[in-house]
Amino acid sequence: MNFSFSDDQVLLKNSVRSALDEQCKSAHVRAMMEDSKGYGEPLWGEMAKLGWLGLPFAEEYGGAGLGLVELCLVLEEMGRAAYPGPYVSSVVLGGLGLVLGGTEAQKERWLSAIASGTARLSAALVEESLDWDPASTTATATKTAEGWELSGVKRFVPWAHVADAILVPARAPEGVSLFLVDPRAPGVSLTPMVGIDLGSRWSEMRLGDVAVKADAVVGLLGGATSLLEALLRRAAVCASAEMLGAARRCLDISVAYAKVREQFGQPIGSFQAIRHKCAEMLLGVESAHSTVYYAAWALNAGAEDAAVAASICKSYVSEAARKVCGEAIQAHGGIGFTWEYDLHLYFKRAKALEVLFGDAEYHRELIVRSVAP
Amino acid sequence: MDLNYTPEDLAFRKHVRAWLEHNLPPEPIRTLEDRRRWHRRLYEAGYLGMGWPKEYGGGSARPMEQAIVADEMARANAPAPTNGLGLGIVGPTIIVHGSEAQKQRYLKKILMAEELWCQLYSEPNAGSDLASLKTAAVDQGDHYVVNGQKIWTSGGAIADWGLLLARTDTKVPKHKGISCVLMSMRQPGVDVRPLKQITGSSEFCEVFMTNARVEKSDQIGKLGEGWAIAQTTLGYERGGRSLARITTYASQYHHLVNAARRLKRHGRPLIDDPLVRQKLGRIWAELEVERYSALRVLTQLERGEHPGAGGSLTKLSYSEFEKRFMELAQEILGPYGQLTDGAPPEYQLQIDTAVGDHGTWAYAFLWSRAGTIYSGSSEIQKNVIGERILGLPKETRADRAGATR
Repeated sequence: MNFSFSDDQVLLKNSVRSALDEQCKSAHVRAMMEDSKGYGEPLWGEMAKLGWLGLPFAEEYGGAGLGLVELCLVLEEMGRAAYPGPYVSSVVLGGLGLVLGGTEAQKERWLSAIASGTARLSAALVEESLDWDPASTTATATKTAEGWELSGVKRFVPWAHVADAILVPARAPEGVSLFLVDPRAPGVSLTPMVGIDLGSRWSEMRLGDVAVKADAVVGLLGGATSLLEALLRRAAVCASAEMLGAARRCLDISVAYAKVREQFGQPIGSFQAIRHKCAEMLLGVESAHSTVYYAAWALNAGAEDAAVAASICKSYVSEAARKVCGEAIQAHGGIGFTWEYDLHLYFKRAKALEVLFGDAEYHRELIVRSVAP
Repeated sequence: MDLNYTPEDLAFRKHVRAWLEHNLPPEPIRTLEDRRRWHRRLYEAGYLGMGWPKEYGGGSARPMEQAIVADEMARANAPAPTNGLGLGIVGPTIIVHGSEAQKQRYLKKILMAEELWCQLYSEPNAGSDLASLKTAAVDQGDHYVVNGQKIWTSGGAIADWGLLLARTDTKVPKHKGISCVLMSMRQPGVDVRPLKQITGSSEFCEVFMTNARVEKSDQIGKLGEGWAIAQTTLGYERGGRSLARITTYASQYHHLVNAARRLKRHGRPLIDDPLVRQKLGRIWAELEVERYSALRVLTQLERGEHPGAGGSLTKLSYSEFEKRFMELAQEILGPYGQLTDGAPPEYQLQIDTAVGDHGTWAYAFLWSRAGTIYSGSSEIQKNVIGERILGLPKETRADRAGATR
């Protein structure tokens, strides 16, 4: 039993930290908020070179062959930097989606392209109802001579506007199935959905009789539910790692501020009202760390409790990050409410991730189903 | 990172489980003598004093082995040994700070429960501000004469000896004038009165000392070093109960789920009520997070690192969790949760309490109020976390300099 990072993992974490410290300063994050694409190609290319974009893929697909723990280490650092870009959508939603269910041809076509940074993927996992249960899918897939025609409306599709292919669940006569869709194909229209976190880009994706070939099916026809559940678990834990990073950054900024900001002739950190708040934030962050890396390990190792650990992780970290980032603004007072100060970048990132891939209530229901069947 | 137990640890767990199956007392323990007997069986099997060095009768076991034994005992609902403070606090203090003569005199008798110990720290006016304690030990040449009052003394009523913090110098700042001594509880100058708590039981006592005698040879460490010694003692919790605590919570949780299947609201079982499900889901998540964090602490201990002020995070976390858990239990159980007698079996909670009574939900609920107060309240833990982990500035305090009186 060893709940600590290996030397290699520490090395990876440090190298991600120093690269992002250098190339993803808050000035970069703010510049990308104004950018039409929303992310920077130079940094994307650098991430490809450093091996981050293929991190969880097998070496035969140009990947680094690492696991979810390493992926979460990278994502924690990205959360810490409020990194703006399609990393989770491309590597986790698209990439791991294909790793879990893709055919050999699909993996060959896309994984090495993701890893080299030449292609970006995404997945359209939710519709108007916001029900993350794959069984709720209402988009339809109709059989044609050549393959399938897809119709329906997907919402909050991350980074769809820069994606080369999007995994789209749709209901075929056989049941819920998963299809690879080219967002530039006739019948697809994308409309931006602009949220408070300008470092997370979403689109509404409308599909009107979109024709896809028979080989666009990912996984078993009619059997995509368990694949999508497995993908959602990974996405939930990866999002939690990013929230953890955002929360830890908010804590660090708050503690540094509490040491220097003086009121009533003393640093505010000497007042128990602020000191206790910071202590509670640290407890939240450390507990979130434990649950993120436990869940990442459990999913990677195929542990018996992996599924419930993922739900525990998402439900716990969603609320812990919300609380820590919110309390950071409170501890700062007025300055924390300004656009100019950086806290809101992390606060908003955590907020955006809190509601994706199942919020705390969604996952608590899954926990009870597992513990009290 | 590998959160699987090693084959050695799995084998050890199996061994402990089998031992418990064969050796658990068939009858509930009712008397102190029964508990001493059980204590000695555990010691002879190698399951007590596991972390103590071999030369003093301990097992020099790894923290994980200690955690596994405690965990298996919780799983089997095994009765607790006695002399918890002797094993957990006094023995380690003597091992670290005591003289060779003191080690020879006291340690083996702690392990064998031949002498039971208590800890004489808190006073009516020295709680969170422990260093302001006033119990005085006055030098009489070959011995001290002790006068004062202690409170919140666990096991005071059965203790033969006490680890006492007393003021030996009133002319220096308060943290510097305290010494640590061993005091016999079996003498005319020591009067022990059980303190009835909100549980109705008396795990704690008040201790009144009137011209009590302490031999100079029973002073631990140097004169005036008592505060520093107490600090290391308070930090000596080796995570031994870390897994056991959570196993007990989990067993209580499953009792609670079963109750929620029987109880109804508006004709519907509580377990089908989305609001109740949300609350149950939240508590299970928090319970598991406690377990994950315990595994992290155990990893540190296994590597020989001392969590130090990190222990404050652990204590703050589980004691506050326990309160939330017991509040939920009460919410689900309604008046069943408040029964101290006459509870139907499906609404009972079988736990072994320190005093040997059968536990009830009511007792567990009331007892959950103790955890966030004893061994440093949650507020004190947050001060420690803020100052020692986060490095926040100390508050301006009037008591940091100057003599005690």
